[in-house]
Amino acid sequence: MTKEAMARKKVWRCNVCNDIHYGIKGPDVCPTCGARNAFALIDYPEAMKVILDQGERLDEEDKLLDVWERFAKDKPFKLNPDEEFVRQLARGELENERNHGLKYCPCRITTGDFVDDLDLICPCNFFIQPVYKETGECWCGLFVKR
Amino acid sequence: MANDRLIFFWGRECPHCAKLHPIVTEASSELETPITELEVWHSEENAKLMRSYGDVIKKACGGSLGVPALYNERTKKALCGMRVTKEDILKWARE
Repeated sequence: MTKEAMARKKVWRCNVCNDIHYGIKGPDVCPTCGARNAFALIDYPEAMKVILDQGERLDEEDKLLDVWERFAKDKPFKLNPDEEFVRQLARGELENERNHGLKYCPCRITTGDFVDDLDLICPCNFFIQPVYKETGECWCGLFVKR
Repeated sequence: MANDRLIFFWGRECPHCAKLHPIVTEASSELETPITELEVWHSEENAKLMRSYGDVIKKACGGSLGVPALYNERTKKALCGMRVTKEDILKWARE
């Protein structure tokens, strides 16, 4: 996503169930409660309070593997069948989160520009990578074409 | 010379770097100038150096900075990715 598009993103709140969405506009249908046209702009600090600190922590290898399996379900790609390889990547991402704040791909390196480096959070947008088109694997090999 | 090195940029948690490591070591043993190994995820100094060669390395990596990557300070040429072979490294080093 371009920096210009990122700058246009705002935080939106469902007035029925307090679902929070970060984007250029709120969803037409709330994915949590199904309410239509329920999203209103919310003040950013207020949104952080609404979220409370109740979001799930993905801070264990098994949790990441579960997230990745669910992400790849019914998609044209799957999780790499080499589980030890996948676990090594999971450990790398957790280490990067501890040391650098986000689950950056351990097979990349940050540029130092925070917004640019958002593209390095796993799963990245690997469909646009030449290596995925050529070899059928994302850069780090976590996801492979079915 | 400090600015005439053959550099292997790698990440400690990168599985492809671990696979390429013995190949780099083997190639290095056949070269007059050994390859300097610099870990980038746990050393900001090494990461900064890698970023300073970013334009060339990005091109070799297909658009973004990635590891494993090799950079030749003399020729200013780079290799990148897990499919690099020992022959590629020797050719890149001796060019």
